[in-house]
Amino acid sequence: MKQISELNFPEDARYTDDHEWVKENGDVIRIGITDYAQDQLGDIVFVELPEVGSSLSKGDVFGTVESVKAVSELYMPVSGEVSAVNETLEDHPELVNTEPYESGWMIEINPGDPAGINALKSKAEYLGMLKG
Amino acid sequence: MEAISKHTPLHDWHLARNANMAEFCGYDMPLWYSSVKEEHLAVLTGAGIFDTSHMAVVTVTGQGAAELLQDCFTNDLDACVGPTRKPLTPGRCVYGAFLDDSGFTIDDAIVFFLSESNYMVVVNAGMGNSIADHLEKHCDGRNAVVTNLSDRIGKMDIQGPAAAKILKHVLADPGIFFAGMPYFSFRGHFDESSPKADMARLDDGTPLLLSRTGYTGEFGFEIFMNPDKLEHLWLRLLDAGKAYGIRPCGLAARDSLRAGAVLPLSHQDIGPWPFINHPWAFALPYTADRSAFTKDFIGRRALESLKTAEFTYAFVGKDLRKVSAGGESRVMTVEGDNIGTVLTCATDMGIGIHDGKIFSIASPDKPAGFSPKGLCCGFVKVSRQLPFGLQVSIADGRRSIAVTIVNDIRPHRTARRPMAEMI
Repeated sequence: MKQISELNFPEDARYTDDHEWVKENGDVIRIGITDYAQDQLGDIVFVELPEVGSSLSKGDVFGTVESVKAVSELYMPVSGEVSAVNETLEDHPELVNTEPYESGWMIEINPGDPAGINALKSKAEYLGMLKG
Repeated sequence: MEAISKHTPLHDWHLARNANMAEFCGYDMPLWYSSVKEEHLAVLTGAGIFDTSHMAVVTVTGQGAAELLQDCFTNDLDACVGPTRKPLTPGRCVYGAFLDDSGFTIDDAIVFFLSESNYMVVVNAGMGNSIADHLEKHCDGRNAVVTNLSDRIGKMDIQGPAAAKILKHVLADPGIFFAGMPYFSFRGHFDESSPKADMARLDDGTPLLLSRTGYTGEFGFEIFMNPDKLEHLWLRLLDAGKAYGIRPCGLAARDSLRAGAVLPLSHQDIGPWPFINHPWAFALPYTADRSAFTKDFIGRRALESLKTAEFTYAFVGKDLRKVSAGGESRVMTVEGDNIGTVLTCATDMGIGIHDGKIFSIASPDKPAGFSPKGLCCGFVKVSRQLPFGLQVSIADGRRSIAVTIVNDIRPHRTARRPMAEMI
Protein backbone atom coordinates (compact mmCIF):
# COMPACT_ATOMS: atom_id res chain seq x y z
CA MET A 1 0.00 0.00 0.00
CA LYS A 2 1.42 3.34 -1.02
CA GLN A 3 1.70 6.29 1.31
CA ILE A 4 -0.82 9.02 0.54
CA SER A 5 2.10 11.25 -0.46
CA GLU A 6 3.11 8.77 -3.15
CA LEU A 7 -0.32 8.80 -4.79
CA ASN A 8 -1.29 11.05 -7.65
CA PHE A 9 -4.32 13.36 -7.55
CA PRO A 10 -4.58 15.81 -10.48
CA GLU A 11 -5.42 19.41 -9.59
CA ASP A 12 -7.95 19.68 -12.43
CA ALA A 13 -10.18 16.84 -11.19
CA ARG A 14 -12.95 16.82 -8.58
CA TYR A 15 -13.36 13.90 -6.18
CA THR A 16 -16.11 12.00 -4.37
CA ASP A 17 -16.24 10.37 -0.94
CA ASP A 18 -16.50 7.02 -2.78
CA HIS A 19 -13.14 7.63 -4.50
CA GLU A 20 -14.35 8.45 -8.00
CA TRP A 21 -12.84 11.35 -9.91
CA VAL A 22 -14.56 13.66 -12.37
CA LYS A 23 -12.92 15.80 -15.06
CA GLU A 24 -14.50 18.16 -17.53
CA ASN A 25 -13.67 17.13 -21.06
CA GLY A 26 -15.28 19.67 -23.38
CA ASP A 27 -19.07 19.34 -23.07
CA VAL A 28 -18.95 15.99 -21.36
CA ILE A 29 -17.47 14.90 -18.09
CA ARG A 30 -15.22 11.90 -17.69
CA ILE A 31 -15.37 9.63 -14.63
CA GLY A 32 -12.97 7.11 -13.18
CA ILE A 33 -11.60 5.91 -9.84
CA THR A 34 -8.76 7.56 -7.96
CA ASP A 35 -5.19 6.42 -7.53
CA TYR A 36 -6.05 5.77 -3.88
CA ALA A 37 -8.98 3.50 -4.87
CA GLN A 38 -6.96 1.45 -7.35
CA ASP A 39 -4.13 1.06 -4.82
CA GLN A 40 -6.58 -0.17 -2.17
CA LEU A 41 -8.30 -2.59 -4.55
CA GLY A 42 -5.13 -4.15 -5.95
CA ASP A 43 -5.06 -5.76 -9.40
CA ILE A 44 -8.23 -4.87 -11.24
CA VAL A 45 -9.28 -7.82 -13.35
CA PHE A 46 -12.68 -6.81 -14.68
CA VAL A 47 -14.70 -3.63 -15.13
CA GLU A 48 -18.43 -3.75 -15.80
CA LEU A 49 -19.79 -0.54 -17.34
CA PRO A 50 -23.27 0.68 -18.30
CA GLU A 51 -24.81 0.89 -21.77
CA VAL A 52 -24.24 4.11 -23.67
CA GLY A 53 -27.45 6.12 -23.42
CA SER A 54 -28.27 5.06 -19.84
CA SER A 55 -29.65 7.87 -17.71
CA LEU A 56 -28.42 7.70 -14.15
CA SER A 57 -28.96 9.82 -11.09
CA LYS A 58 -26.31 11.04 -8.69
CA GLY A 59 -25.49 8.16 -6.35
CA ASP A 60 -26.74 5.41 -8.71
CA VAL A 61 -24.49 2.42 -9.31
CA PHE A 62 -23.05 2.79 -12.82
CA GLY A 63 -20.88 -0.31 -12.81
CA THR A 64 -18.63 -2.58 -10.85
CA VAL A 65 -14.91 -2.93 -10.62
CA GLU A 66 -13.62 -6.36 -9.78
CA SER A 67 -10.29 -6.90 -8.11
CA VAL A 68 -8.85 -10.21 -7.07
CA LYS A 69 -10.02 -9.44 -3.57
CA ALA A 70 -13.52 -8.09 -4.05
CA VAL A 71 -16.21 -6.68 -6.30
CA SER A 72 -16.83 -2.99 -5.67
CA GLU A 73 -19.60 -0.75 -6.92
CA LEU A 74 -19.08 2.47 -8.83
CA TYR A 75 -21.36 5.40 -8.01
CA MET A 76 -22.43 8.33 -10.19
CA PRO A 77 -20.80 11.51 -8.84
CA VAL A 78 -23.45 13.62 -10.60
CA SER A 79 -26.53 12.75 -12.61
CA GLY A 80 -26.35 12.46 -16.37
CA GLU A 81 -26.65 10.38 -19.51
CA VAL A 82 -23.81 8.04 -20.43
CA SER A 83 -22.34 9.21 -23.75
CA ALA A 84 -19.34 6.87 -23.92
CA VAL A 85 -17.73 3.99 -22.05
CA ASN A 86 -14.06 3.06 -22.17
CA GLU A 87 -14.22 -0.14 -24.18
CA THR A 88 -10.46 -0.68 -23.91
CA LEU A 89 -11.00 -1.73 -20.30
CA GLU A 90 -12.78 -4.88 -21.48
CA ASP A 91 -9.45 -6.34 -22.59
CA HIS A 92 -7.16 -4.22 -20.45
CA PRO A 93 -8.73 -3.65 -17.02
CA GLU A 94 -5.22 -3.22 -15.61
CA LEU A 95 -5.18 0.29 -17.14
CA VAL A 96 -7.28 1.35 -14.15
CA ASN A 97 -4.29 0.44 -11.98
CA THR A 98 -1.57 1.88 -14.16
CA GLU A 99 -3.24 5.04 -15.52
CA PRO A 100 -6.33 5.71 -13.43
CA TYR A 101 -6.80 9.28 -14.74
CA GLU A 102 -5.78 8.74 -18.34
CA SER A 103 -6.40 5.54 -20.31
CA GLY A 104 -8.05 3.97 -17.24
CA TRP A 105 -11.07 6.32 -17.38
CA MET A 106 -14.44 4.57 -17.22
CA ILE A 107 -17.38 6.56 -18.58
CA GLU A 108 -18.25 9.93 -20.10
CA ILE A 109 -21.58 11.56 -19.35
CA ASN A 110 -23.61 14.53 -20.45
CA PRO A 111 -24.24 15.97 -17.00
CA GLY A 112 -27.84 16.68 -16.04
CA ASP A 113 -26.62 19.25 -13.54
CA PRO A 114 -23.27 20.73 -14.67
CA ALA A 115 -23.07 22.87 -11.53
CA GLY A 116 -23.22 19.68 -9.43
CA ILE A 117 -19.55 19.12 -10.15
CA ASN A 118 -18.67 22.15 -8.09
CA ALA A 119 -20.17 20.48 -5.04
CA LEU A 120 -17.60 17.66 -5.27
CA LYS A 121 -14.32 17.72 -3.38
CA SER A 122 -11.24 19.56 -4.61
CA LYS A 123 -7.88 17.81 -4.50
CA ALA A 124 -7.10 19.48 -1.17
CA GLU A 125 -10.46 18.48 0.30
CA TYR A 126 -10.11 14.89 -0.92
CA LEU A 127 -6.58 14.64 0.46
CA GLY A 128 -7.88 16.01 3.74
CA MET A 129 -10.47 13.23 3.86
CA LEU A 130 -7.88 10.52 3.08
CA LYS A 131 -5.57 11.74 5.77
CA GLY A 132 -8.51 11.73 8.21
CA MET B 1 -10.06 -0.78 23.21
CA GLU B 2 -8.68 -1.69 19.82
CA ALA B 3 -6.87 -5.01 19.74
CA ILE B 4 -3.25 -4.74 18.71
CA SER B 5 -2.30 -7.09 15.90
CA LYS B 6 0.63 -9.42 16.35
CA HIS B 7 3.61 -9.13 14.05
CA THR B 8 5.66 -11.85 12.36
CA PRO B 9 9.47 -11.54 12.15
CA LEU B 10 9.05 -10.26 8.55
CA HIS B 11 6.59 -7.49 9.46
CA ASP B 12 9.07 -4.63 9.05
CA TRP B 13 10.13 -6.03 5.69
CA HIS B 14 6.51 -6.11 4.49
CA LEU B 15 6.01 -2.50 5.56
CA ALA B 16 9.25 -1.39 3.91
CA ARG B 17 8.00 -2.99 0.69
CA ASN B 18 4.70 -1.07 0.92
CA ALA B 19 2.71 -4.28 1.11
CA ASN B 20 -1.04 -3.85 1.33
CA MET B 21 -1.51 -5.04 4.93
CA ALA B 22 -4.56 -6.35 6.73
CA GLU B 23 -5.40 -8.04 9.99
CA PHE B 24 -5.74 -11.81 9.60
CA CYS B 25 -6.51 -13.98 12.64
CA GLY B 26 -4.88 -11.45 14.96
CA TYR B 27 -1.78 -10.84 12.81
CA ASP B 28 -0.99 -7.84 10.63
CA MET B 29 -0.20 -9.65 7.38
CA PRO B 30 0.55 -8.70 3.76
CA LEU B 31 -2.35 -9.18 1.33
CA TRP B 32 -0.15 -8.40 -1.65
CA TYR B 33 2.93 -6.39 -2.54
CA SER B 34 2.56 -4.79 -5.98
CA SER B 35 0.38 -7.21 -7.97
CA VAL B 36 -1.67 -10.18 -6.75
CA LYS B 37 -1.94 -11.47 -10.29
CA GLU B 38 1.81 -11.53 -10.81
CA GLU B 39 2.27 -13.21 -7.43
CA HIS B 40 -0.29 -15.89 -8.30
CA LEU B 41 1.25 -16.53 -11.73
CA ALA B 42 4.81 -16.64 -10.33
CA VAL B 43 3.84 -19.64 -8.19
CA LEU B 44 2.47 -21.45 -11.26
CA THR B 45 5.48 -20.76 -13.46
CA GLY B 46 8.47 -20.11 -11.16
CA ALA B 47 8.26 -19.63 -7.42
CA GLY B 48 6.78 -17.49 -4.69
CA ILE B 49 7.64 -17.13 -1.02
CA PHE B 50 5.01 -16.61 1.66
CA ASP B 51 5.38 -15.37 5.23
CA THR B 52 3.51 -18.03 7.22
CA SER B 53 4.90 -17.38 10.70
CA HIS B 54 1.35 -16.62 11.83
CA MET B 55 0.53 -20.32 11.70
CA ALA B 56 0.49 -22.15 15.00
CA VAL B 57 2.65 -25.09 16.04
CA VAL B 58 1.82 -27.52 18.85
CA THR B 59 3.99 -30.49 19.83
CA VAL B 60 2.68 -33.70 21.34
CA THR B 61 5.26 -35.94 23.02
CA GLY B 62 5.31 -38.98 25.26
CA GLN B 63 4.34 -42.61 25.04
CA GLY B 64 0.68 -41.72 24.80
CA ALA B 65 1.16 -39.12 22.03
CA ALA B 66 0.18 -41.36 19.12
CA GLU B 67 -2.89 -42.65 20.93
CA LEU B 68 -3.98 -39.12 21.87
CA LEU B 69 -3.66 -37.95 18.28
CA GLN B 70 -5.51 -41.03 17.01
CA ASP B 71 -8.31 -40.11 19.37
CA CYS B 72 -8.48 -36.44 18.36
CA PHE B 73 -7.33 -36.26 14.72
CA THR B 74 -9.58 -37.39 11.87
CA ASN B 75 -6.96 -39.14 9.78
CA ASP B 76 -5.76 -42.60 10.82
CA LEU B 77 -2.06 -42.44 11.68
CA ASP B 78 -1.93 -46.21 11.22
CA ALA B 79 -3.45 -46.04 7.74
CA CYS B 80 -2.98 -42.77 5.85
CA VAL B 81 0.08 -42.80 3.56
CA GLY B 82 -0.41 -43.28 -0.16
CA PRO B 83 -3.28 -44.90 -2.03
CA THR B 84 -2.92 -48.15 -0.06
CA ARG B 85 -3.07 -46.23 3.22
CA LYS B 86 0.11 -47.39 4.89
CA PRO B 87 0.99 -46.30 8.47
CA LEU B 88 2.57 -42.88 9.01
CA THR B 89 6.33 -43.30 9.56
CA PRO B 90 8.88 -40.85 11.00
CA GLY B 91 9.61 -38.20 8.36
CA ARG B 92 6.07 -38.27 6.97
CA CYS B 93 3.17 -35.92 7.64
CA VAL B 94 -0.55 -36.12 7.04
CA TYR B 95 -3.51 -33.75 6.63
CA GLY B 96 -6.68 -34.02 8.70
CA ALA B 97 -8.89 -32.15 11.14
CA PHE B 98 -9.75 -31.85 14.82
CA LEU B 99 -13.48 -32.20 15.49
CA ASP B 100 -15.69 -31.71 18.49
CA ASP B 101 -18.25 -34.26 19.72
CA SER B 102 -20.78 -32.93 17.19
CA GLY B 103 -18.39 -33.71 14.33
CA PHE B 104 -17.92 -29.98 13.72
CA THR B 105 -14.48 -28.75 12.68
CA ILE B 106 -12.37 -26.99 15.31
CA ASP B 107 -9.49 -26.60 12.85
CA ASP B 108 -7.64 -28.48 10.13
CA ALA B 109 -4.02 -29.47 10.60
CA ILE B 110 -0.98 -31.32 9.38
CA VAL B 111 0.47 -33.84 11.83
CA PHE B 112 4.22 -34.41 11.47
CA PHE B 113 5.65 -37.70 12.80
CA LEU B 114 9.07 -36.51 14.06
CA SER B 115 10.21 -39.65 15.89
CA GLU B 116 8.78 -42.31 18.17
CA SER B 117 6.43 -40.61 20.67
CA ASN B 118 7.20 -37.21 19.16
CA TYR B 119 4.74 -35.36 16.92
CA MET B 120 4.33 -31.80 15.69
CA VAL B 121 0.90 -30.43 14.79
CA VAL B 122 0.62 -27.36 12.55
CA VAL B 123 -2.72 -25.56 12.74
CA ASN B 124 -4.07 -22.22 11.57
CA ALA B 125 -3.15 -18.78 12.87
CA GLY B 126 -4.49 -18.10 16.33
CA MET B 127 -5.54 -21.73 16.86
CA GLY B 128 -2.54 -22.90 18.91
CA ASN B 129 -4.26 -22.44 22.28
CA SER B 130 -7.58 -23.96 21.19
CA ILE B 131 -5.96 -27.07 19.77
CA ALA B 132 -3.52 -27.44 22.68
CA ASP B 133 -6.47 -27.14 25.12
CA HIS B 134 -8.51 -29.62 23.11
CA LEU B 135 -5.67 -32.15 23.14
CA GLU B 136 -5.02 -31.67 26.85
CA LYS B 137 -8.69 -32.05 27.65
CA HIS B 138 -8.68 -35.46 25.95
CA CYS B 139 -5.42 -36.74 27.44
CA ASP B 140 -7.42 -38.93 29.83
CA GLY B 141 -4.42 -39.95 31.92
CA ARG B 142 -2.31 -40.83 28.88
CA ASN B 143 1.39 -40.09 29.09
CA ALA B 144 1.38 -37.18 26.66
CA VAL B 145 2.72 -33.64 26.93
CA VAL B 146 1.14 -30.94 24.78
CA THR B 147 3.22 -27.79 24.18
CA ASN B 148 2.05 -24.74 22.28
CA LEU B 149 5.05 -23.33 20.37
CA SER B 150 3.03 -20.63 18.58
CA ASP B 151 5.00 -17.43 17.89
CA ARG B 152 8.24 -19.17 18.88
CA ILE B 153 8.98 -20.67 15.46
CA GLY B 154 9.66 -18.82 12.22
CA LYS B 155 7.91 -20.20 9.16
CA MET B 156 7.89 -19.41 5.48
CA ASP B 157 6.77 -21.35 2.43
CA ILE B 158 8.44 -21.52 -0.96
CA GLN B 159 6.00 -22.73 -3.58
CA GLY B 160 6.23 -23.24 -7.32
CA PRO B 161 7.96 -25.52 -9.81
CA ALA B 162 11.35 -23.80 -9.29
CA ALA B 163 11.24 -24.16 -5.47
CA ALA B 164 13.85 -26.93 -5.19
CA LYS B 165 16.12 -25.35 -7.80
CA ILE B 166 16.16 -22.16 -5.74
CA LEU B 167 16.51 -23.89 -2.36
CA LYS B 168 19.53 -25.77 -3.69
CA HIS B 169 21.46 -22.50 -3.62
CA VAL B 170 21.01 -21.99 0.13
CA LEU B 171 21.13 -25.51 1.58
CA ALA B 172 24.31 -27.06 3.01
CA ASP B 173 23.88 -30.42 1.30
CA PRO B 174 21.04 -30.24 -1.21
CA GLY B 175 21.87 -33.48 -3.05
CA ILE B 176 21.41 -35.69 -0.02
CA PHE B 177 18.57 -33.59 1.17
CA PHE B 178 16.28 -33.89 -1.83
CA ALA B 179 16.95 -37.56 -2.61
CA GLY B 180 13.77 -39.56 -2.23
CA MET B 181 11.54 -36.91 -0.74
CA PRO B 182 7.92 -37.64 -1.62
CA TYR B 183 4.91 -35.33 -1.27
CA PHE B 184 3.99 -34.97 2.43
CA SER B 185 7.42 -35.90 3.75
CA PHE B 186 9.90 -33.72 5.62
CA ARG B 187 13.52 -33.57 6.75
CA GLY B 188 15.46 -32.00 9.58
CA HIS B 189 14.42 -30.07 12.66
CA PHE B 190 14.46 -26.39 13.59
CA ASP B 191 15.80 -27.20 17.08
CA GLU B 192 19.62 -27.39 17.18
CA SER B 193 19.43 -29.94 20.01
CA SER B 194 17.40 -32.41 17.94
CA PRO B 195 19.29 -35.38 16.48
CA LYS B 196 17.42 -34.62 13.22
CA ALA B 197 18.87 -31.10 12.96
CA ASP B 198 21.80 -32.28 10.85
CA MET B 199 19.48 -33.58 8.14
CA ALA B 200 18.61 -30.12 6.83
CA ARG B 201 20.74 -27.04 7.30
CA LEU B 202 21.26 -23.79 5.49
CA ASP B 203 24.78 -23.29 4.18
CA ASP B 204 25.40 -21.03 7.22
CA GLY B 205 24.54 -23.92 9.53
CA THR B 206 21.00 -22.85 10.54
CA PRO B 207 18.92 -25.99 11.14
CA LEU B 208 15.57 -26.27 9.34
CA LEU B 209 12.56 -28.47 9.27
CA LEU B 210 11.75 -28.61 5.58
CA SER B 211 8.49 -30.18 4.56
CA ARG B 212 7.32 -31.00 1.03
CA THR B 213 3.90 -29.52 1.62
CA GLY B 214 2.15 -26.20 1.08
CA TYR B 215 -1.15 -24.50 0.49
CA THR B 216 -1.04 -23.70 -3.21
CA GLY B 217 -1.39 -27.05 -4.97
CA GLU B 218 2.03 -26.47 -6.48
CA PHE B 219 5.38 -28.12 -5.85
CA GLY B 220 7.18 -26.61 -2.90
CA PHE B 221 8.14 -26.59 0.73
CA GLU B 222 7.13 -25.27 4.11
CA ILE B 223 10.16 -24.20 6.14
CA PHE B 224 10.21 -24.09 9.97
CA MET B 225 13.17 -22.42 11.62
CA ASN B 226 14.58 -20.07 14.25
CA PRO B 227 12.51 -16.85 13.85
CA ASP B 228 15.66 -14.73 14.22
CA LYS B 229 17.01 -16.23 10.98
CA LEU B 230 13.82 -15.94 8.99
CA GLU B 231 14.49 -12.62 7.30
CA HIS B 232 17.98 -13.77 6.38
CA LEU B 233 16.60 -16.81 4.55
CA TRP B 234 13.78 -14.74 2.99
CA LEU B 235 16.34 -12.35 1.46
CA ARG B 236 18.62 -15.16 0.34
CA LEU B 237 15.75 -16.94 -1.43
CA LEU B 238 14.66 -13.72 -3.15
CA ASP B 239 18.22 -13.31 -4.38
CA ALA B 240 18.76 -16.96 -5.37
CA GLY B 241 15.36 -17.05 -7.09
CA LYS B 242 15.79 -13.99 -9.32
CA ALA B 243 16.54 -16.08 -12.40
CA TYR B 244 13.34 -18.06 -11.81
CA GLY B 245 11.08 -15.04 -11.39
CA ILE B 246 10.61 -15.53 -7.64
CA ARG B 247 8.20 -13.13 -5.94
CA PRO B 248 7.18 -12.46 -2.37
CA CYS B 249 3.49 -13.35 -2.18
CA GLY B 250 0.76 -12.19 0.17
CA LEU B 251 -2.38 -13.79 1.55
CA ALA B 252 -4.50 -12.81 -1.48
CA ALA B 253 -2.41 -14.92 -3.88
CA ARG B 254 -2.34 -17.67 -1.27
CA ASP B 255 -6.15 -17.63 -1.24
CA SER B 256 -6.60 -17.65 -5.01
CA LEU B 257 -3.98 -20.39 -5.45
CA ARG B 258 -5.52 -22.65 -2.80
CA ALA B 259 -9.03 -22.16 -4.18
CA GLY B 260 -7.91 -23.32 -7.64
CA ALA B 261 -6.18 -26.28 -5.99
CA VAL B 262 -9.45 -27.30 -4.22
CA LEU B 263 -7.97 -26.77 -0.74
CA PRO B 264 -10.26 -25.58 2.08
CA LEU B 265 -9.79 -22.48 4.20
CA SER B 266 -10.51 -23.37 7.82
CA HIS B 267 -13.41 -21.43 9.41
CA GLN B 268 -14.71 -20.65 5.92
CA ASP B 269 -14.99 -23.87 3.88
CA ILE B 270 -14.88 -26.13 6.92
CA GLY B 271 -16.18 -24.94 10.26
CA PRO B 272 -18.95 -25.35 12.81
CA TRP B 273 -20.85 -27.98 10.82
CA PRO B 274 -20.20 -31.72 10.24
CA PHE B 275 -16.83 -32.49 8.62
CA ILE B 276 -18.17 -34.88 5.99
CA ASN B 277 -19.63 -34.93 2.45
CA HIS B 278 -16.95 -32.56 1.18
CA PRO B 279 -14.08 -32.74 -1.36
CA TRP B 280 -11.60 -33.70 1.39
CA ALA B 281 -12.58 -37.31 2.01
CA PHE B 282 -8.85 -38.16 2.21
CA ALA B 283 -8.84 -36.40 5.59
CA LEU B 284 -11.25 -38.97 7.02
CA PRO B 285 -10.22 -42.53 7.96
CA TYR B 286 -12.33 -44.30 5.37
CA THR B 287 -11.94 -47.98 4.52
CA ALA B 288 -11.01 -48.67 0.89
CA ASP B 289 -14.66 -49.03 -0.14
CA ARG B 290 -15.66 -45.92 1.85
CA SER B 291 -18.29 -47.90 3.71
CA ALA B 292 -16.86 -47.35 7.22
CA PHE B 293 -14.13 -45.69 9.25
CA THR B 294 -10.94 -47.56 10.14
CA LYS B 295 -10.62 -46.10 13.65
CA ASP B 296 -12.51 -44.35 16.39
CA PHE B 297 -12.08 -40.57 16.81
CA ILE B 298 -13.82 -37.65 18.45
CA GLY B 299 -16.76 -36.65 16.28
CA ARG B 300 -17.08 -40.06 14.61
CA ARG B 301 -20.36 -40.97 16.22
CA ALA B 302 -21.93 -37.67 15.16
CA LEU B 303 -20.71 -38.05 11.57
CA GLU B 304 -22.15 -41.58 11.42
CA SER B 305 -25.57 -40.58 12.67
CA LEU B 306 -26.36 -37.37 10.80
CA LYS B 307 -30.07 -36.71 10.47
CA THR B 308 -29.81 -34.11 7.71
CA ALA B 309 -26.82 -33.97 5.42
CA GLU B 310 -25.23 -30.97 3.77
CA PHE B 311 -22.76 -31.31 0.91
CA THR B 312 -19.75 -29.15 0.04
CA TYR B 313 -18.63 -29.00 -3.59
CA ALA B 314 -16.03 -27.19 -5.63
CA PHE B 315 -17.31 -25.08 -8.52
CA VAL B 316 -15.82 -23.21 -11.44
CA GLY B 317 -17.32 -20.31 -13.38
CA LYS B 318 -17.21 -19.41 -17.08
CA ASP B 319 -15.14 -16.26 -16.67
CA LEU B 320 -13.45 -14.41 -13.84
CA ARG B 321 -16.51 -12.64 -12.45
CA LYS B 322 -17.19 -13.39 -8.80
CA VAL B 323 -19.97 -13.01 -6.28
CA SER B 324 -19.47 -12.15 -2.62
CA ALA B 325 -19.36 -15.34 -0.55
CA GLY B 326 -20.95 -15.68 2.85
CA GLY B 327 -24.32 -15.41 4.54
CA GLU B 328 -26.05 -13.28 1.89
CA SER B 329 -25.02 -15.54 -0.99
CA ARG B 330 -27.28 -18.16 -2.58
CA VAL B 331 -26.88 -21.26 -4.71
CA MET B 332 -29.79 -21.75 -7.13
CA THR B 333 -30.67 -24.74 -9.29
CA VAL B 334 -31.78 -24.14 -12.89
CA GLU B 335 -35.30 -24.90 -11.61
CA GLY B 336 -34.96 -21.92 -9.26
CA ASP B 337 -34.59 -23.72 -5.93
CA ASN B 338 -32.38 -22.04 -3.36
CA ILE B 339 -30.19 -24.92 -2.15
CA GLY B 340 -27.35 -23.32 -0.24
CA THR B 341 -24.64 -20.71 0.18
CA VAL B 342 -21.25 -19.84 -1.28
CA LEU B 343 -18.35 -20.54 1.11
CA THR B 344 -15.48 -19.29 -1.05
CA CYS B 345 -15.54 -17.38 -4.33
CA ALA B 346 -12.10 -16.43 -5.68
CA THR B 347 -10.44 -16.00 -9.06
CA ASP B 348 -7.71 -18.39 -10.12
CA MET B 349 -5.87 -16.02 -12.45
CA GLY B 350 -3.78 -18.71 -14.08
CA ILE B 351 -6.56 -20.65 -15.77
CA GLY B 352 -9.00 -20.20 -18.61
CA ILE B 353 -11.41 -22.18 -20.80
CA HIS B 354 -10.55 -23.14 -24.37
CA ASP B 355 -12.98 -25.30 -26.39
CA GLY B 356 -14.84 -26.24 -23.22
CA LYS B 357 -11.75 -27.44 -21.38
CA ILE B 358 -9.83 -25.73 -18.56
CA PHE B 359 -6.14 -25.07 -19.14
CA SER B 360 -3.56 -23.49 -16.86
CA ILE B 361 -0.72 -21.27 -18.00
CA ALA B 362 1.45 -24.16 -16.76
CA SER B 363 -0.41 -26.80 -18.81
CA PRO B 364 2.03 -28.54 -21.17
CA ASP B 365 -0.80 -29.00 -23.72
CA LYS B 366 -2.15 -25.44 -23.53
CA PRO B 367 -3.31 -23.98 -26.86
CA ALA B 368 -0.91 -21.72 -28.78
CA GLY B 369 -1.13 -18.10 -27.61
CA PHE B 370 -3.14 -19.10 -24.50
CA SER B 371 -3.40 -16.06 -22.25
CA PRO B 372 -6.04 -16.71 -19.58
CA LYS B 373 -7.84 -13.96 -17.72
CA GLY B 374 -8.76 -16.30 -14.90
CA LEU B 375 -11.83 -18.18 -13.76
CA CYS B 376 -14.00 -17.71 -10.73
CA CYS B 377 -13.93 -20.76 -8.48
CA GLY B 378 -14.50 -21.85 -4.93
CA PHE B 379 -16.85 -23.89 -2.78
CA VAL B 380 -20.59 -24.09 -2.16
CA LYS B 381 -22.43 -25.82 0.67
CA VAL B 382 -25.79 -27.18 -0.43
CA SER B 383 -28.66 -29.17 1.03
CA ARG B 384 -28.62 -31.97 -1.56
CA GLN B 385 -26.19 -34.25 -3.33
CA LEU B 386 -25.17 -32.91 -6.76
CA PRO B 387 -23.47 -34.64 -9.71
CA PHE B 388 -20.20 -33.29 -11.11
CA GLY B 389 -20.88 -31.34 -14.28
CA LEU B 390 -24.17 -29.90 -13.00
CA GLN B 391 -24.81 -26.22 -13.79
CA VAL B 392 -26.07 -24.07 -10.93
CA SER B 393 -26.14 -20.32 -10.33
CA ILE B 394 -24.45 -18.55 -7.48
CA ALA B 395 -25.72 -15.14 -6.51
CA ASP B 396 -25.23 -12.27 -4.13
CA GLY B 397 -27.25 -9.07 -3.90
CA ARG B 398 -25.53 -7.72 -7.00
CA ARG B 399 -25.27 -10.46 -9.61
CA SER B 400 -25.97 -14.07 -10.43
CA ILE B 401 -23.47 -16.17 -12.36
CA ALA B 402 -23.62 -19.65 -13.87
CA VAL B 403 -21.07 -22.11 -12.49
CA THR B 404 -20.40 -25.83 -12.84
CA ILE B 405 -20.06 -28.27 -9.94
CA VAL B 406 -16.67 -29.96 -10.43
CA ASN B 407 -14.34 -32.43 -8.74
CA ASP B 408 -11.20 -30.48 -9.67
CA ILE B 409 -10.32 -26.95 -10.82
CA ARG B 410 -6.78 -25.94 -11.88
CA PRO B 411 -5.25 -28.65 -14.11
CA HIS B 412 -1.60 -29.72 -14.20
CA ARG B 413 -0.74 -28.77 -10.64
CA THR B 414 2.80 -29.64 -9.68
CA ALA B 415 2.52 -30.53 -5.96
CA ARG B 416 2.82 -34.28 -6.54
CA ARG B 417 5.39 -34.26 -9.33
CA PRO B 418 8.35 -36.63 -8.73
CA MET B 419 11.25 -34.80 -7.08
CA ALA B 420 13.62 -35.98 -9.81
CA GLU B 421 11.72 -33.84 -12.35
CA MET B 422 11.94 -30.75 -10.15
CA ILE B 423 15.67 -30.48 -9.35
